[in-house]
Amino acid sequence: MRFNDLMLGSMLLLFAVVLGAYSFTFPPIPGQRFGAALFPQVIALGLGGCALTLLLQSWRRARANPPAPRTPLISRTEWTLKPGAIAAVFLTIGLVVLYILFSEKIGFLLSISAILIILFRLLHVPWSSTLAATLVGSILLDFVFRSLLLVPLPFGILPRLPW
Amino acid sequence: MDVLTQASALVFQWQVFVAIIAAAGFGLLVGAIPGLTATMATALLVPFAFFMDPVPAVGMMVTCAAMAIFAGDIPGILLRIPGTPASAAYASEGYAMTQQGRAEEALGASLLFSAIGGLFGTFVLIFAAPTLAEIALNFSSAEYFWMALLGLTCAVFIGASSPLKGMISLFIGLFVATIGLNNPAGVPRFTFGSSDLLAGVDFIPAMIGLFAVSVVLSTVAAGAPPWESPQKKTGNVFHAWGGLLRRYWPQQLRGNLLGTVVGALPGAGADIAAWIAYAVSRRFSRTPEKYGTGHVEGIVECTSSNNAAVSSAWIPAFVFGIPGDTITAIVIGVLYVKGLNPGPTLFIFNPETIYAVFLIFILANLVMVPLGWLLIKSATRMIQAPRRILMPLILAFCIVGAYASNNSVYGIVIMLVFGVLGFIMEENDIPIAPCILGIVLGPIVEARFISGMIRGDGSLLYFFERPIAAGLGLFVIAIWLLSLVGWLRRRKRRLAAAGTQDGSEASA
Repeated sequence: MRFNDLMLGSMLLLFAVVLGAYSFTFPPIPGQRFGAALFPQVIALGLGGCALTLLLQSWRRARANPPAPRTPLISRTEWTLKPGAIAAVFLTIGLVVLYILFSEKIGFLLSISAILIILFRLLHVPWSSTLAATLVGSILLDFVFRSLLLVPLPFGILPRLPW
Repeated sequence: MDVLTQASALVFQWQVFVAIIAAAGFGLLVGAIPGLTATMATALLVPFAFFMDPVPAVGMMVTCAAMAIFAGDIPGILLRIPGTPASAAYASEGYAMTQQGRAEEALGASLLFSAIGGLFGTFVLIFAAPTLAEIALNFSSAEYFWMALLGLTCAVFIGASSPLKGMISLFIGLFVATIGLNNPAGVPRFTFGSSDLLAGVDFIPAMIGLFAVSVVLSTVAAGAPPWESPQKKTGNVFHAWGGLLRRYWPQQLRGNLLGTVVGALPGAGADIAAWIAYAVSRRFSRTPEKYGTGHVEGIVECTSSNNAAVSSAWIPAFVFGIPGDTITAIVIGVLYVKGLNPGPTLFIFNPETIYAVFLIFILANLVMVPLGWLLIKSATRMIQAPRRILMPLILAFCIVGAYASNNSVYGIVIMLVFGVLGFIMEENDIPIAPCILGIVLGPIVEARFISGMIRGDGSLLYFFERPIAAGLGLFVIAIWLLSLVGWLRRRKRRLAAAGTQDGSEASA
């Protein structure tokens, strides 16, 4: 997903304006000229400047060769033309979101195993390797992080494991 | 001497050795796999560093980074896919040698001169850092403000192919740094009622997201295809060492010096050092026409410089607490967590720790030779490591690592947000490194500016009152002005060229 200069510039400009306007709500440090608002305002100014430069570049280019076909606001990069590529990215993101939502209830081992199996199969790993890598990977992570590093990974519906 | 004995006692323990060897293996593996960077290797080690003593924790990250920068040369030479950005400058050169069946010569040169470069940078670090720390003890807000600003400037003007995109990335990072309570006024900014965000954006999950999750996403999208190298077997890598050293010691020395200087600048790291070294090497070579056709001279100079830069990047990190590159930015975060506040006082209150870390630097560059040899031997198999099995495992590792940073799913949320952000930024050719430096340096710039204004009673002249501050300030402003003038000149030339083209078209 590639934004052209017009699109990227407009998005950044909008963000900069919102950022700058919102930072006026921060209270000043009593008795001082500068407070919490200064730094966000400088950032808003800088980002706004970058955005305006992008917009100017895009406008100049359009003026320099008017008959040339315009690049679309959002264009697809090379990899997205491969069938299933976009779906794979969204699936990966979706799996992490599901982990965030349900891992406490289901538990670490089951949820991470599910993510691994789905991703391995998505990348066409044969079933035998999928199951072996999932088993070794999830149990190793559980052992290292829960048992050695004492990270309280959620058990969920599984009983406490012997290690 | 007493400090050295204490430092040795901290280093020569089996736990430290195990940590160093394990981190070395991990760094070599990650560096050798194309697409996985040295920064990513360091970021993935952070969750472990949390649970370790300061010396093994920092030693582990130092070793891992040095190994990954060397190992990045291997896929660069064998496949023309640089393992880390620091190897990008000479990947084509090395690949041309591989195509001629001279991979072992290129790999041998890379191993030898990486180790020497790392040691050179380390010795400069050992001798320069304590002296600089004494000077830095007298620094006030003004000097730190300019140092941090210099870091931000280097990140934008030298680091990115397009300064505009570098600047956008930097401002994104600076914005992220403003989130939370951690500002001179103690006002919650951009938290929107979330108590998690009050403490600011957790640095470690953000790193893991930007550097690891974004790579997983783009590899999954590409379907993780395997690679093939034209040369299947590598011969004796030590064979050419004597000849290379005799013939190319001036290039090596020049690369070492250049790398050390570039690395020691805040904000500029190994990748920039390698690019400059390649250009310098070609400019001063007696046989510039051979560059690009598989000439080992350029590789010698670049690999000498990037590893020297990896070591010297620690000078600003330890002495001023200002990161030299993305790797040191991550380790500075870890130092704070470990209660070792980077800065000149580190050399006064914990000299044994800092000398222990220096000893580890030397050890790391020494073990690089045998471990690097093993890696090169198995490299042709290693780079074909099935990415389709690796990537899901890396994602699982990221999830656990982000969770471990504060034992809540909030870390994973941050990781995912930054993973997607990094992915979109890379899609649009916006470099990630300036964003990281913005996140780390933002709070320093802000705090030092505000406290400077309070001390100077609201007068900007405060930042120029002391001689070092004035010098640094003028230096930073000069870089800005020179960049602006250069840009205007290029633009004028471009417009003039376009004008003559139009004119000739009209007359035709």
